[in-house]
Amino acid sequence: MALSVGLFAQLLVNTLQIGAVYVLFALGLTLVFGVMKVINFAHGQFFTLAALVIAATMPEFTARFGMPAWLDYFVCFGLAFIIVGILGAVLYFVGFERYLRDLVGSFILSVGLLLFLEGIYLWLFGGAPRVVPKLLEGQVSLAGGAMESQRLVICAIALAATAALYQLVAKTRMGKALRAVAEDREAAMLQGIRYRRISFYGFMIGSGLAAISGGLIAPLTAITPALGNDYLAKAFIIIIIGGLGSIPGAILGGFLIAAVESFAGYFLDLSYATIAMFVLVMVFLLVRPQGILGVAER
Amino acid sequence: MTGNKTGWFVTAAITAALLGYTLVGDDEYTQHLLMWSALNAVLAVGLRFMLLVGETNIATGAFYGMGAYVAAVFTTKWNLPFPLALLAGGVLAVGVGALFGVITLRTKGPYFMLISFAFTEVVRLIYTRVEWLGGNSGIIGVFPPQGLDPYMPALTILLCGALILMMYLCEASNLGRVFQAIENNDAIVETVGIDVMHVKLLCLVIAAFALGVAGANHAFVYNVISPGDFSYLVPVFALAYVKIGGDNHVAGSILGAVLLTVLAQALQGAGALQHILFGGAIIASMLVLPDGIWGGVGRLLRKARGGAA
Repeated sequence: MALSVGLFAQLLVNTLQIGAVYVLFALGLTLVFGVMKVINFAHGQFFTLAALVIAATMPEFTARFGMPAWLDYFVCFGLAFIIVGILGAVLYFVGFERYLRDLVGSFILSVGLLLFLEGIYLWLFGGAPRVVPKLLEGQVSLAGGAMESQRLVICAIALAATAALYQLVAKTRMGKALRAVAEDREAAMLQGIRYRRISFYGFMIGSGLAAISGGLIAPLTAITPALGNDYLAKAFIIIIIGGLGSIPGAILGGFLIAAVESFAGYFLDLSYATIAMFVLVMVFLLVRPQGILGVAER
Repeated sequence: MTGNKTGWFVTAAITAALLGYTLVGDDEYTQHLLMWSALNAVLAVGLRFMLLVGETNIATGAFYGMGAYVAAVFTTKWNLPFPLALLAGGVLAVGVGALFGVITLRTKGPYFMLISFAFTEVVRLIYTRVEWLGGNSGIIGVFPPQGLDPYMPALTILLCGALILMMYLCEASNLGRVFQAIENNDAIVETVGIDVMHVKLLCLVIAAFALGVAGANHAFVYNVISPGDFSYLVPVFALAYVKIGGDNHVAGSILGAVLLTVLAQALQGAGALQHILFGGAIIASMLVLPDGIWGGVGRLLRKARGGAA
């Protein structure tokens, strides 16, 4: 199997479209870690819920109002976003607020939530895979590689969301507070930044990003209550490579993992691609234990 | 050192009581429940062992699985004797654990936790790809030698008890104090001339040995193993046993393992409800009893004693 220019372009396009969703998913995880020093194993459940809500409500909406598929999709997306937001706020105030900066405690709490929510989803939505109708028909050609037009739209939204987050964190007052807290909580508090409020914002932004990535993946895959679990393991590898808490790192790591998966997955097999990713992580650690753009933990 | 004595006593008493029960009781279901509890207790104590130096080691699931696979290969493919299979499980886990530790212990805290998580998942994936190890369906027919069958519950509990005792004795010795010191502040330990990295590696390897042997025992108890039995959920549940039982004493981990194993069995076949109740139990205990059942009981006792005095 020679690597022709056309094939290369096709794999690159694949990388871009898988990577865009990985990046969004991992960004939420890394942001929550940066601010709260919590690794949220239930992060995938926000993602899954968004996809499930869209898959469950879209047929209803289409039957009642007869809107075009893309408009339906956006209405249901909004609904899913709101529901995930409510869930995120409840989880924060009931649970995570008590386990800020407690790695082991929050880990177990989030594992409990992971099981609990998966059970609830299974009970509410059933275990059978659901499919969301295509948003747009047809294909577009992109730099010699073919891509479904709906994938192009989804990829564009993901990139826009990533850019928006980047702006939010880099430019706004709240973004500054988020970064300050992630860097040194006590110094930030001495400057009058309210740590608890900022960590709540961080958690909500993280949940929101998970909801967006879940909503975007909905038309591209079969949706089951266990959907988030596969993404979670990959997101962990991404944030290790990128450096925990590092936003540029998560973006870089997301595309790197997508590239490995897309290229190694084409020539070998998807599970070998996962093993390859792990070997990559191990080699990485030997050279840079703190990730690509991470700062060493002290 | 009265604390150590009570620990000894509790561990020995529980082992003796369960041992007595398995030798007397002939209800097969109860015997299995006891064996599962004992194996889960080793998983919990093995995970807690590394928590002593402040690291959450999700790779415990991988070490446990390796022990099981080695035992299965030794028994079904090579026809090697039973004690050798048990020992080999521990030896392989020690070898792989040492290699894994040398690379990954350069990191700590969340990094170490996530890498050990990825390691467990990757090892599981490797089992599914290797045809010789039975791929996705795993290996069947891992039986202990004939004649030993009726003694399996007693043997399992004795072995698990011994492994737990081994880890407990390490914790109670001077080594345990070094572990504690590393958890508190590894920089200070380094300044008095102790190589923190080596101590952490030793800690990982001791736990890996116990888990490898327990994993080999697991293969003989279940008779069938498959990659799905050794996912990241194994150590995650073990962590739940440790936390729910109470992480400031070994007895808490054992208590948590037994309680949750029984709960999981009672909920078996309940489908979605099983997830909801098991997850709910973890959440509830995290919110209501942050120092676990053992810690909660201890607090009550101290309060009662204080009230009396």
